[in-house]
Amino acid sequence: MKNKIKVFRAMHDLTQEHLAQVIGVNRQTILAIEKGKYVPSLDLAFRIARYFGVSIEEVFTYEDEENTGTVQ
Amino acid sequence: MKKNTFYLITGCIAIALVGLFWYSDVIRMPLLIELAFIVAVAAIYLIRRQVTDLKEDERDVKITEQAVLRTMQVFWVVFCAFSIGAVMQLLRAPAFPRGFQTEHPPILPELLSPRLIGFVQLGLLCLMIFLYVGFRIYYAGKYGDWETDEE
Repeated sequence: MKNKIKVFRAMHDLTQEHLAQVIGVNRQTILAIEKGKYVPSLDLAFRIARYFGVSIEEVFTYEDEENTGTVQ
Repeated sequence: MKKNTFYLITGCIAIALVGLFWYSDVIRMPLLIELAFIVAVAAIYLIRRQVTDLKEDERDVKITEQAVLRTMQVFWVVFCAFSIGAVMQLLRAPAFPRGFQTEHPPILPELLSPRLIGFVQLGLLCLMIFLYVGFRIYYAGKYGDWETDEE
């Protein structure tokens, strides 16, 4: 799972600490998500996307290396 | 309540428990420390809810869950292995159940003395603590606790 939180933070001139405060998590969690160490829950992912005013797909990209097919 | 105050209170409770452990040994009353331990843990849980600056988010919860799960996965095997040995001892005891069938039940050597059971339990407790701390450190690292950033 890749994400563009860092890009959106830069666009909105936000620090990790500030984003973490408004989203309601620890700064370390934002850092872990940005580094790809932690995959957030759907609830948290939606909260982050909603805060930036974009859809969840714009912030998070799902990448499955083994199976990239879709249901026909 | 600030989290430092909470840690201070927790430390005081721990010291009081050590004192009670010693005292219950002096008066030969294990029930005292057993009850005190339950009360102390309940008190810590209640006090923890009053802490305002101790934020636990979903990542912290996941780390705790994973650490507890892995600890239990290892611990229950070791615990059951030891308990099976203790049950075997119980079944071989002259008074149960074959003791009722014979007038002179055989006196078998005691494989697990109560003292040894106590030491093994102490070891198991230490094992559980070490397992939990180890798994917690591992999962904290896995979920990015040691990551550093430019900010």
